[in-house]
Amino acid sequence: MSIGKGILEIKNLSKSFIVDNNPLQVLNDINITIPPGNFVSIIGSSGCGKTTLLRIVLGLETNYEGDALIDGEQIEGPGINRGIVFQDHRLLPWLTVGENVAFGLDGKSRKETEVIVDEHLKLVGLNGFKSAYPCQLSGGMAQRAAIARALANKPEILLLDEPLGSLDAMTRMHMQKELERIWLFEKITMILVTHDVEEAIYLGDKVVIMSSRPGVIKKIIDIPFTRPRDRSSYEFMQIKSEILEEFHLGVEHPFIYSI
Amino acid sequence: MSKSLLKRFEWKDKLLALIVPLLVLVAWQSAVSLQLFSEMILVPPLTVMNTLVDLARTGDLTNNIISSLKRVLSGFLLGASTGFFLGLLMGLSSLLDRFVGPLIKACKQVPQFALMPLIILWFGIDEVSKVVFISIGAFFPMVFNTYQGVSGVPKKYRELARVFNYKSFRYLTKVILPGALPSIITGVRHSLGLSWMFVVGAELFGSESGVGYMMVWARQLFQIDIVMAGLFVIGIIGFTMNIILQIIEKRVLRWRVSFDGRMA
Ligand SMILES: Nc1ncnc2c1ncn2[C@@H]1O[C@H](COP(=O)(O)OP(=O)(O)OP(=O)(O)O)[C@@H](O)[C@H]1O
Ligand SMILES: [Mg+2]
Repeated sequence: MSIGKGILEIKNLSKSFIVDNNPLQVLNDINITIPPGNFVSIIGSSGCGKTTLLRIVLGLETNYEGDALIDGEQIEGPGINRGIVFQDHRLLPWLTVGENVAFGLDGKSRKETEVIVDEHLKLVGLNGFKSAYPCQLSGGMAQRAAIARALANKPEILLLDEPLGSLDAMTRMHMQKELERIWLFEKITMILVTHDVEEAIYLGDKVVIMSSRPGVIKKIIDIPFTRPRDRSSYEFMQIKSEILEEFHLGVEHPFIYSI
Repeated sequence: MSKSLLKRFEWKDKLLALIVPLLVLVAWQSAVSLQLFSEMILVPPLTVMNTLVDLARTGDLTNNIISSLKRVLSGFLLGASTGFFLGLLMGLSSLLDRFVGPLIKACKQVPQFALMPLIILWFGIDEVSKVVFISIGAFFPMVFNTYQGVSGVPKKYRELARVFNYKSFRYLTKVILPGALPSIITGVRHSLGLSWMFVVGAELFGSESGVGYMMVWARQLFQIDIVMAGLFVIGIIGFTMNIILQIIEKRVLRWRVSFDGRMA
């Protein structure tokens, strides 16, 4: 893949928060380089700093040690080259679904906006809900609307913080396919945080495994399979159990009890 | 089906709300009929109604209502807009909030009717002092509710605006003001309600027109029926204002209620 714009380099990155006047180390010495157009999945237990890492890349957390660079420049604040689907969907309750999807579109004509909104609502399967308010959506629909909003803006780097968390299994698989299709088509970088190991492998060029207290990168696993991937193939299952092993959930070497 | 059910409930509520006033009217009329009180002191409701009709026919009532409403409008616009802008600035700038917030809170503790003598001293006894007095009443609910609404816009939405590079005017009109709107509308409602109370108060301190004036003048001539008619008019107008604002509120804040009435 040709190297376009938006190479993300994270070097010796550490971040701590002050909690009750004591520093709480949340990220410790994170190192990873993500070339443009890569798909990186991040998995790790709750509270290991995945959201914090995304917020640093997004530019919402600026008080960190080490380097977080995009095309060699330190990230100092949000920019429209980066987009996010927040863990909570964050649709503005006073805007309709259509208006929410158009929220990031600036300087476009009404007609252009309309076309982009329709296209993206269709993409996430919310065609009929353009003029509904967020409080009229289910959790999964709200998440899909948030994905549409992030995509409509055409970021170079799209951060996805458990974007499919509240979808049912079927819609979830469908949305994974859609994400892959969009990614292949738009050739943007996607960084996906997920708790679903299968999802991480299905979508990622790499799977980053983090562990907590403080959050560190434990392992980065390359996924070499061609796309679209077969979840039930032997290799897929093998990588899956390798990753589960990292969380001490492996099933390959069960204890053998003898009396 | 569920919608018609809802409608019926609403009607039932409205009918229920009428029961107590009707009972009061019946008790009132019977108290006079049984001669528990002198008719001079407690005028029977029917007489009050007649007086009201008479007042309306001569045009006195309409003129007085119009001049009261004019004062309310000027006082409300002056006080509420000042309160709105100050509340907005305080909500946006924590520095300003720390400077003037405590002062405003302290001022609120002073009963505003106690200011009337001072206002008369400063602004004279004519229209200006009345409008100023009303605007003080209108100011406080507006400044507090606007401040609360603006500073209460959740951080998650502010962050979202930053992510999408929203700045100044766009940020204010697309994120902050809509987010603060429920609170701002509450402010408008209280502000207008207090303006209406304050106008009657202001007119009691001497004036040549207005509903309050009509009542003072009638009391001096011992025309208690007119005083009571005045009370009735004040109540009805205040009530109507509130209803109108509630209807506006429902329309403007339609996004807050979903199919099953959950709040967002
Ligand atoms: N603003 C903050 N102030 C203080 N501590 C914070 C703040 N934000 C996050 N933390 C702490 O940092 C740690 C990591 O939080 P983070 O949200 O990044 O976890 P996560 O990996 O995304 O977890 P989850 O999978 O549950 O979403 C947690 O212990 C959390 O309490
Ligand atoms: Mg998180």
